[in-house]
Amino acid sequence: MSLRTAVAHRNLLYLLSLKELRTRYRKSVLGWTWSLLNPLSQMVIFSILFLYIFERPAPVGTSSGLQNFPLYFLAGLLPFQFFSISVTTAIGSVQGGASLIKKVAFPHEHLVLSIVIAQLVTLLIELAVLSIAILIFGQMVLPWLFPMAALLVLVTMFTTGVALLLSAANVFFHDINYLWGIVAQLLFYTSPIIYTPGEIDNRWLVAITNWGPTGSIVRASQGLLYHGDMPGIGRWIHIASFSIVTLAFGAWAFNRLSPRFAEEL
Amino acid sequence: MSDDITPDTESPTVIHGSAPTPNDDAPEPQRDIAISVDSVTKTFRIHHERANSLKQFIATGGRNRYDEFEALKDVSLEVRVGEAVGIIGHNGSGKSTLLKCMAKILTPNSGEIAINKRMAALLELGAGFHPELSGRDNVFLNAAILGMGRKEIDKRFDEIVDFSGLHQFIDSPVKTYSSGMYVRLAFAVAINVDPELLLIDEILAVGDVTFQQRCMEKFVQFRNEGRTLVLVTHDTGSVRNFCDRAIWLDKGVVRASGTPADIIDEYTETMLATQERPKEGPIRRGVGEIKVHKVEMLVKGEAVESLHAGEDVTIRMHFDTTKQILAPVFEVKIARLGGAVVTAPCTRDADEVPATVEGPGTVDFLVRDLPLIPGPYVLHTEITGYHRKYVYDHLQNAVTFDVYAGQSAETEGLVTLRPEWKLTGDGVLGRREP
Repeated sequence: MSLRTAVAHRNLLYLLSLKELRTRYRKSVLGWTWSLLNPLSQMVIFSILFLYIFERPAPVGTSSGLQNFPLYFLAGLLPFQFFSISVTTAIGSVQGGASLIKKVAFPHEHLVLSIVIAQLVTLLIELAVLSIAILIFGQMVLPWLFPMAALLVLVTMFTTGVALLLSAANVFFHDINYLWGIVAQLLFYTSPIIYTPGEIDNRWLVAITNWGPTGSIVRASQGLLYHGDMPGIGRWIHIASFSIVTLAFGAWAFNRLSPRFAEEL
Repeated sequence: MSDDITPDTESPTVIHGSAPTPNDDAPEPQRDIAISVDSVTKTFRIHHERANSLKQFIATGGRNRYDEFEALKDVSLEVRVGEAVGIIGHNGSGKSTLLKCMAKILTPNSGEIAINKRMAALLELGAGFHPELSGRDNVFLNAAILGMGRKEIDKRFDEIVDFSGLHQFIDSPVKTYSSGMYVRLAFAVAINVDPELLLIDEILAVGDVTFQQRCMEKFVQFRNEGRTLVLVTHDTGSVRNFCDRAIWLDKGVVRASGTPADIIDEYTETMLATQERPKEGPIRRGVGEIKVHKVEMLVKGEAVESLHAGEDVTIRMHFDTTKQILAPVFEVKIARLGGAVVTAPCTRDADEVPATVEGPGTVDFLVRDLPLIPGPYVLHTEITGYHRKYVYDHLQNAVTFDVYAGQSAETEGLVTLRPEWKLTGDGVLGRREP
């Protein structure tokens, strides 16, 4: 699809995102509360696990002085979860839109983009709740939300790139879906979300947790929200470059493959 | 939405049926062409073992074993602005593939398709309806999928709901709709996209009769407004009545293109001639003291296997007896193959009953100017006693035969009444040349 038709269909993108948000919690009693309960329940589980079973102290915020494991945990988990849930949902989206793709001409990427947008809305709500919690614990987080917004733009680009690539590939190879489940686990544990970078000393593991894509994003987010530290310029360049490259590659691959969707599905 | 209109075709208003204005110096050919299909080839891969998993993909060294199937072979055609074109062809002829290529759903392997008009394709009504969402939400979503902007949908929303007639239900989830309501709403959306070029695939076959009527009225209105229509269908009748031109697609190539009447006659004849029909053999019952042992169809004294509408046909039954039969009545029953009985006259109706019959003989049944509509037919014979209770011989499926088009252009129903038409009125002028 050319950019022009994609722009002409921007209304479709808006409505698809809205549909995604509206139908997500259909027929559930708590509805949207689930989007808050999900990270909260994980936070409670991991906090109990680490504070009372492993008896590990919470890391101390380098500039903020915060010492609160649940807040540290959420500062890393929320952007990671936005990425992993978006990709998980998006992988099946092209397949799920088969009946539409076979009968109507429209920009196929909107099926993927609408999911990322809907997840981004969820993330923003979750971040708002987290920011209030951080404020209550005495860290003035508001100024840090501006660089956080810039970080979110990059994370969204990265997420979109991966989602486009894998959703298109999944049309041809259905096991991309299952493979992603393993990769997402791997990325979760190689990102310093439930531990701190200082707790590991294998230099390979340190390198991965520090400069792996999700590790890098998680560390930047923890720096801004928990530590009250501006990530270094190297960190920004790192995240920006892999995000741009991933998006460009994902979009290129998706555009290459999308003309074949209607016959392959 | 105006983004979709190619700027160099400032929606020229071409009245249906009018010739292109000759006084345009150096007329751009593009201006009159709504769709041009230029040597389009489309192949599909038929996978033997679909390598849908990475394991298989790697195991086969990245090569899938597949056959290529050419659905369209170097197809070129043009549709002029304001024209109604019917694409006909049997299953697998590539007509739906062609329509999907025109609709930009499929991408041709080679060749170009240029669409110069704002297009809407009705391939399936309600594709993309989400069952959990209300009718209202689905109208917005569906219209957006078809490419409408938000303001435009706002503007047309009432019209869409009016056309569907679903005012009370518009805020209920569409999963509570009946299939009829579903289709009505979907059609209302599709038709209100306000296309200058409409591609239609067999959708006239859905909904109830009233709904089909309304669809047809809308299409006629579209055509009269000078919009362009491309219709893909099995129903040669609607092409004959509705289209200015028929294109016959056969095994992925354009076999013929021209006035619907000519193309459809040729098409029907070829179809009937090549069609493999499961021919039921004759089934006989009855006492058998007198039997029909052969049935012939004769045209100008020659035995034939198929007939043409308008011919003089003699159906000759050869019979023989085992003893003397009192007042036997011969009946011929002609029916559409697998369908309705057209006629079932017997000799008693015409007071042609002999007192007695013994030994071999023939019965001739002469039909002048055969009034049957083209199609496949079957003929049964029966010999009964005078009171039609006692069945001597009943021969089910004595002959199956095809009737090809003759003089009459009629295609619907079973028989033609050979009507004579007369139009009167002060404003009735001239004669439109076909």
